[in-house]
Amino acid sequence: MSIVIGDTPRTAPPPPEPETPRRNYLNETSGFWSWALTVDHKRIGILYLVSITAFFLVGGIAAGLVRANLLTPNGAILTEDQYNKAFTAHGVVMLFLFLIPSIPAVFGNFLVPLMIGAKDLAFPRLNLASWYVFMIGAAFMVWGLLSGGIDTGWTLYPPYSSRYSHASVAPGVFGVFITGFSSIMTGLNIMVTVHKMRAPGMTWGRLPLFIWAMYATSFIQLLGTPVVAITLLLLLVERLAGVGIFDPSIGGDPVLYQHLFWFYSHPAVYIMIVPGMGVVSEVLTCFSRKNIFGYKAVAWSSVGIAVVGFLVWAHHMFVAGISYYSALLFSFLTMLVAVPSAIKVFNWVATLYRGSITFQAPMMFTLAFLVLFTVGGVTGMFLATMGTDIHLHDTYFVVAHFHFVMVGGMVLAYLAGIHFWWPKMTGRMYSDFWSKTSATVIFVGFFFTFVPQFVLGYHGMPRRYPNYPEEFQVYNVLSTAGASILGVGYLMPAVYLTLSLFFGPKASANPWSATGLEWQVPSPPTVFNFEYLPITVCGPYEYAIGVDQMGRGLPEPPGAGDDNPATRVGATLLPGPQPKETEVVG
Amino acid sequence: MAHDPHHNPGDPPTLHDVDTVSSVVTVYAVVLALAVVNILLTFAALGPMALPVQLGIGAVQACLVAWYWMHMRRGDTAVTLSAFTTLFFMFIFFVLVLADVLTRWRAAI
Amino acid sequence: MSASTHGHGTVLKHHFDNLEQQHSAERLGMWFFLVTEVLFFTGMFVAYTVYRNWYPGEFAFASSHLLWWVAAINTGLLITSSLTMTLAIRSAQLGDKAGLIRRLLLTFALGAGFMGFKAFEYATDYHEKFVPGEMFRTEYARPLAELTADDAKRKFEGRPALTRTEVESYQFKGEYEHWSQDLAKRNYGREPATEGTVSPERVQLFLCFYYIMTGIHGVHIIVGLGCILWLVFEAYRGAIPREAYSKVEVISLYWHLVDMIWLFLMPLLYLIRSGGGQ
Repeated sequence: MSIVIGDTPRTAPPPPEPETPRRNYLNETSGFWSWALTVDHKRIGILYLVSITAFFLVGGIAAGLVRANLLTPNGAILTEDQYNKAFTAHGVVMLFLFLIPSIPAVFGNFLVPLMIGAKDLAFPRLNLASWYVFMIGAAFMVWGLLSGGIDTGWTLYPPYSSRYSHASVAPGVFGVFITGFSSIMTGLNIMVTVHKMRAPGMTWGRLPLFIWAMYATSFIQLLGTPVVAITLLLLLVERLAGVGIFDPSIGGDPVLYQHLFWFYSHPAVYIMIVPGMGVVSEVLTCFSRKNIFGYKAVAWSSVGIAVVGFLVWAHHMFVAGISYYSALLFSFLTMLVAVPSAIKVFNWVATLYRGSITFQAPMMFTLAFLVLFTVGGVTGMFLATMGTDIHLHDTYFVVAHFHFVMVGGMVLAYLAGIHFWWPKMTGRMYSDFWSKTSATVIFVGFFFTFVPQFVLGYHGMPRRYPNYPEEFQVYNVLSTAGASILGVGYLMPAVYLTLSLFFGPKASANPWSATGLEWQVPSPPTVFNFEYLPITVCGPYEYAIGVDQMGRGLPEPPGAGDDNPATRVGATLLPGPQPKETEVVG
Repeated sequence: MAHDPHHNPGDPPTLHDVDTVSSVVTVYAVVLALAVVNILLTFAALGPMALPVQLGIGAVQACLVAWYWMHMRRGDTAVTLSAFTTLFFMFIFFVLVLADVLTRWRAAI
Repeated sequence: MSASTHGHGTVLKHHFDNLEQQHSAERLGMWFFLVTEVLFFTGMFVAYTVYRNWYPGEFAFASSHLLWWVAAINTGLLITSSLTMTLAIRSAQLGDKAGLIRRLLLTFALGAGFMGFKAFEYATDYHEKFVPGEMFRTEYARPLAELTADDAKRKFEGRPALTRTEVESYQFKGEYEHWSQDLAKRNYGREPATEGTVSPERVQLFLCFYYIMTGIHGVHIIVGLGCILWLVFEAYRGAIPREAYSKVEVISLYWHLVDMIWLFLMPLLYLIRSGGGQ
């Protein structure tokens, strides 16, 4: 379908704006039990949203304690034992109670059925059960934290965790064990849904890249989480029974624990980042008004990351006592896993090229992701290379690397997703100014928090140490200062997003003029999602032609006019694709 | 199966979906016999071949149970893929862990 | 459409378009769950492989002192229960409610029999103190003490110390468990970690695997039994018409997996004697 530059082509006019129905999934039923026993995937997504936000706060406070303590070379506010518990709490809470569930449980639950044209996930009651299992696991972890904390580091290595630690290890480990099942349930649900419940016309080749990313993530959750489950169970048995298979005194090998642990925990980091990559694909295409460059490459690279991610775990163990030959093998395999991630970055950048880019908050977070994730990924190469890893292992270089990819990458992608789908989920639009400001503050805060840590690590400051040589203080202070700015930046969305619920203008069905099926239903959606069966006729990002996935026209894209059209309610003007100088000839 | 023109979705299972008693019982007999063989072979001093033989018998039993009793022969692609994917990742797990464990230098025990 | 609209209406869930999609999704969901179960057990099998490779002698010794005949009976019970479970699906598909309940109850009985024998086995092991940790160490020390005392007596009386052959055919006067007698005979008079000795610590390592692997498998059997009872209840109250046969199939998939895991577990734990170098 070719488009002549300079003309105003006509495609089908956009459908009349679906009237925002008075009854939607939020107000259809009310009262405590209607939420506590809901099987609506959208409500369950909101339940997760609220819970993980609370846990993000807890993990953030733990981070604050860690960074505050590192202001002086000999520990400013905590004893050494308390410091161990602080960084362990930060790791355990942020990883298991925030990052792993974040996008899969919030956006996966909310959006997967909507994006593929289904009425719900395959197993709605299992979905609700997954939230309760998550909360029960979290309760055990909180019990562990409150009853004396865990001081082993989030990696829980024996024999310290199984025998010598006097901290409250057992409830914490049991809590992590339980939340793993929540992760498995969510992943299983999403995978079956994508396999069996796509609406007519929604072939695998027309799935939004977010769905491909969720599918790949669920694949990892399904295959990897059971292994950490058995590992933690074995650890728990050893701690409680006093004898176990990692106990060297009966011939056991603590390094074997590390193999079992990292078999899951490395793919776990891909559980954390791949959904974020899915969000990036959605946001980038919408805010550059362009089709994704290389759909198949991006789709298959998600699968590639999921598969190759299982082959690399022992790069966490190069200096733990594994054999030299296997270390070489794992080093080589780790270099391979960078390839699919790099393919994505190249394709995203190519998508941006000659796009018609606007800088609303979702886009700002996404562009920041591109930069920070790339830096984080590239610094991973230093760690994959055995020769350099020997010097960098267990230093702040590693800490900076994973915070770049997990915070600069995943948390920013999560915030991008929140800002992108907030109008859909809540029916309200937030402040354009404050959202852009918070994105800036977060980016600046992030930079100052973690760039000094690369320098610290390179110069040899070990991680998990409560004290350090005098000459490192300036970097530590800089990092803590940055962390304070970051903290402010995170609080800002909490404020303006909450305010938008009460005072924000009502959002239209498709404020961003996006192509996905989720934007064709009202904001917020009704309980059963679609009042009619959606039939998909084209791929997910036909922005250049100006059609959504059902072949209908798009409303005016954001930023096309002087005012913020995202807040415009009612019928929009000038339907169809907008003529632009940079229009790509189709 | 979804494209079978004689099989409308929503109909009760047609007779070709139902296992025959004889097919089920035949598989039972074979699997049970293999188990008996496995146990008897223990007393047959096979030496180092014992372990591969035992695992081989187990594998054959597992294949029979999966193919017939778990209805893998019905041919849902997703089911077949998930079975083979599982085997693949089990293989990876074993091979890469053993790649470390078997190549470490160890003093004579 | 099918004639039994009543069953049809209550069986098809609102978010599915038709029964075939629902059944297909339920089956796939259970298969995906089985994938997680297999990976769960694989962790233990990998650990087992590492240690069996390192300590073949100790693993063979420990395995030869387990109750293999109980394991053999249990294998027969479990395979038979898988048979009855598969036939139960057939009953459900044919709408034979009585047959369905009968076959489900048979499966339950066979599975419960498995757990009964397992309980007997554990009780025997416990009674024999064949349990890693303090119990094992204490029991093992006893025949060793008798051998040491006997040697000391001989020395005192000016007789030569016990030779290797004498140790191997020694008749203990005290009441000791068969395994601790064997272990003492194997190790007495030899330097630890030399040719022919069996490290008692590593025997305990094997026992950790034995209890943990069979224990976790047992937990899975119990969960399966619970699911089967639930199916009996559902069938009894008429909630398994022909269209809803997939409920039975889904539980049967789980049951078959638990059976398959046992078919690998059994030779690896109980039948090492003929392999693994001594």
